[in-house]
Amino acid sequence: MTSSRSSFRDGRGFDRLLVGLTLGFLLVFSAFPLVYNLIMSFQEVDLFTLGSFDRPWVGLENYADVTGHRVFGLIATNTAIFVAVSVAAQLVIGFALALFFQQSFPGATWLRGLFLAGWIMPGLVVGAVWSFILSGDFGVLNWGLMTLGITDGRVFWLSSPDTALYAVIIANVWLGVPFNMILLSVGLSAIPEDVYEAAELDGAGRVRRFLTITLPLMRAQIGAVLSLGIIFTLQQFDLFAALTQGGPANGSNVLQYWSWELSFTDYRIGQGSAVSVLMILLVVLVAVVYVRSTRHEHVA
Amino acid sequence: MTIKAMLAGSAVILATPALAQEQVTLDLWTIDDPGEYHYVMAEEYMAANPNVTINVRTVQFEDMVNDLARSIATGDAPDITYIDNPEVALFASRGMLLDLTPYIEASEVVKVEDIYPGPLASVTYEGGIYGLPRGANTIALYYNADKFREAGLNPDDPPATWDELYETAKALTDPESNVYGLAFSAVGTEEGTFQFLPWLQMTGGDYNNINTEGAARALNLWKQFIDEGIASPDTLIRSQWDSTGTFNAGNAAMAISGPWEIPRMSEEAQFEWRVALLPVPEDGAERASALGEGDNVILANTDTPDEAFAFLEFLYGDMDRVWNDFGYLPASAVEVTDPKYPEAYAVFEESMKYARNRGPESDWPQVSGAIQTAIQSTLTGQATAEEALAEAQAEIDDVLGN
Amino acid sequence: MLRDDRFARAGLLAIALVLVGLYLFPLYWMYVTALKTGTEISAWPPRFWPETPDVAVVEVWERLRMGTFLWNSLIIALGTTAVVVLLGTGCGYALARVRGLWMDVALFLILMMQVLPSSLMITPIFVAFSQFGLLEYPRLSVILAQVAKLLPFYVVLVRATFLQVPRELEEAALVDGNSRLGAFLKINVPLARNGILVAAVLIMLQALGEYVYSRSLIQERAFQPATVGLQSFMGPNTSDWQGVMTYAAIYVTPILLFFVLLQRQIVSGLTSGALK
Repeated sequence: MTSSRSSFRDGRGFDRLLVGLTLGFLLVFSAFPLVYNLIMSFQEVDLFTLGSFDRPWVGLENYADVTGHRVFGLIATNTAIFVAVSVAAQLVIGFALALFFQQSFPGATWLRGLFLAGWIMPGLVVGAVWSFILSGDFGVLNWGLMTLGITDGRVFWLSSPDTALYAVIIANVWLGVPFNMILLSVGLSAIPEDVYEAAELDGAGRVRRFLTITLPLMRAQIGAVLSLGIIFTLQQFDLFAALTQGGPANGSNVLQYWSWELSFTDYRIGQGSAVSVLMILLVVLVAVVYVRSTRHEHVA
Repeated sequence: MTIKAMLAGSAVILATPALAQEQVTLDLWTIDDPGEYHYVMAEEYMAANPNVTINVRTVQFEDMVNDLARSIATGDAPDITYIDNPEVALFASRGMLLDLTPYIEASEVVKVEDIYPGPLASVTYEGGIYGLPRGANTIALYYNADKFREAGLNPDDPPATWDELYETAKALTDPESNVYGLAFSAVGTEEGTFQFLPWLQMTGGDYNNINTEGAARALNLWKQFIDEGIASPDTLIRSQWDSTGTFNAGNAAMAISGPWEIPRMSEEAQFEWRVALLPVPEDGAERASALGEGDNVILANTDTPDEAFAFLEFLYGDMDRVWNDFGYLPASAVEVTDPKYPEAYAVFEESMKYARNRGPESDWPQVSGAIQTAIQSTLTGQATAEEALAEAQAEIDDVLGN
Repeated sequence: MLRDDRFARAGLLAIALVLVGLYLFPLYWMYVTALKTGTEISAWPPRFWPETPDVAVVEVWERLRMGTFLWNSLIIALGTTAVVVLLGTGCGYALARVRGLWMDVALFLILMMQVLPSSLMITPIFVAFSQFGLLEYPRLSVILAQVAKLLPFYVVLVRATFLQVPRELEEAALVDGNSRLGAFLKINVPLARNGILVAAVLIMLQALGEYVYSRSLIQERAFQPATVGLQSFMGPNTSDWQGVMTYAAIYVTPILLFFVLLQRQIVSGLTSGALK
């Protein structure tokens, strides 16, 4: 690390300037709202005292209220399931598709591009379309499953506490696949062909080549995709609003939606802020893991 | 950081009495889109009063409270706004709204005794009157008369009690042809509370007293509707509008909803539809119905209260037009000449007499949230009606400070 | 051997078509729903093609005056993308090149900044922007708020791309007497252009879909983007699903076409790879 930096001895200021610009912008525009949330989480906040910090301090009371709330356990579990299943499914499907479209056949790049359709559609529209598809009574998914004989009767995806969360996950995976696939494709295409050829000459099979060449060389991309995937998934809000509103009976409620509900429909803004601070802590963890993983990635 | 202090300062400077013909600008917030009530009325008012300019801004229904609170915090609040019934108490309790009582006493146009009790209760908070209803709505039972005939039922004799409703809905349910007997909304939002409260009130309960036998009976009946396939399980996530959509499409034989459905229904429903009053628990029981729509209110720190009230008076004075022009029910006793959809109007007009306000309660959203949870956990079988209601009652007591 | 190969390729193409078909089904469903009238939307069995397709494009376009909305969307998305690329490219590069505790801290902070959904960030942003008078420039406000939201994402993406640019090329350029800036612009940026382009396109698409900030920061209809128009159109008692889907189709189709037309530049660049 020191040796590589020594060749740039004259230019450290340049790097700092580049990072400083972005960091400065973010400190002004993003750090303020975060700090604001943090402060509110220790205060009793009324809908009408939003404009001033001069509010009664309540210590950790908001946190106690939130974590002691009857539904906290359920919502925390839901959030963990939502993030884990969504991110895993997006990564696996995205990676599989990226590998598939890496092969040469007519129209491969063109068809791959079409997957970005999911990225183009505004969240609102995606929510509305999936609410039609997943509808219990007239949804085309039920029709498909019943016609293919997979299910006997209708599944009420959105209104059963057992399936509602998974219904949102399905839609969320659909949204996240293109992002995973395209980024992983970028990484795959940067792996030089001759590395594989050499391995093939050594008699390495497909699986071994994937495990010993592709995965290690893709480390940076996978790290980026995973951490961004977790953050995106924690930010997913539109789908909950459009599909289940966290229901039925909080069966599909997650921290980010609950925080919004507490702040903006129950007007318990202090508690809503406390939940959002808990989420920040969660992301701190993710960010630490990501940054640590980047320490080993100087392969290029 | 003291925005409030700045606000107070500027209010003093600006609060000079407006002269009769001075140009006045009023900021008006509404949930309407251009071409709807507030836009139309503001145009008419400006045409008649050239010295007044009204800036109308659309705020989405679900954002209104938050946007309004933020604008009050930052000093950008409008002079007049529309707010939904149960939220008047929220704003009035914080001193954000102008008490209109002295203005109404001096008014030639507004007579308190003309306003129906439900709408009047919705603008009243601790003795003050903080707004004027712009109209009202309520809910009733729509039914498909053709399906009644097919099932051998008499369309002139719609269900009048809960038992009849259950029997009729069961008889009309036909899974083979994808027809549910009844469509309603038990969604986990204010709409769910809106639909449930009348059932509770008919049995003598109310928002602050929900752990009652009658409430349990109502919830168990709702659960029966869903468990027996009489109503769709998606009732739990469908808004009233989406539920009634299934009625219009012929996938439900009856639907509980309000008059806002009529224009779409008369266009889409390929059958003879009719309306009846909400069924009651048993013959002779007390009637109740929900009270919807909202109110025109004046913000407490407006610089031009007189001009603002003059506009409110104008809006109120045109109450007889709201049904035919905008599709709301009048909130006060006025003669509607030649009403559109006369049969439906007659039912809804009668239903208005039983319409009850939600609240008034300054922490309404939290009360409503507890009721929604009780409904949803009963219907999904996570708790019995009795357990769910007891838990909701405890939460409500907590909110109300009992 | 050649025959086998051709079969294999045809097989792959067939599988690819099925995958794309499955994936794009929701998009298809949006278009079909836009052609269905009210009751047909909830028909069972679902109709894959409406009996009498009803095109509401002109009606929706005119009634909602979509021209202005789309123009605003474009301004906001382009503005956001421009600022993000200007600020973020250098940052991604520096974070890829230099390691050390401080750079780790910087990377960590940058990631941290985008933790909360917009719906939770908007209140403080609104209060702050209103204090600084930024709300007088509504579209600029949205651009700034969006840049703050999307910048971390962009930085992480381009950082991964710069990692793949061989260090030796840059070092050679420096030895030839280029300044750091010169080497960055002449060597690194051109070599990473595919990654930058893809990231920029992803940013722009995200910016086009945003509505939480626009809804609160832009009060005047004349400055609102199409997503806000769509959202107000989806209000509780007015949701005319055919109209909503028509609106969505009008909104999505040009972006989709733009995308299909620029395939070569955007996606095929991925496989050809500038680094070979």
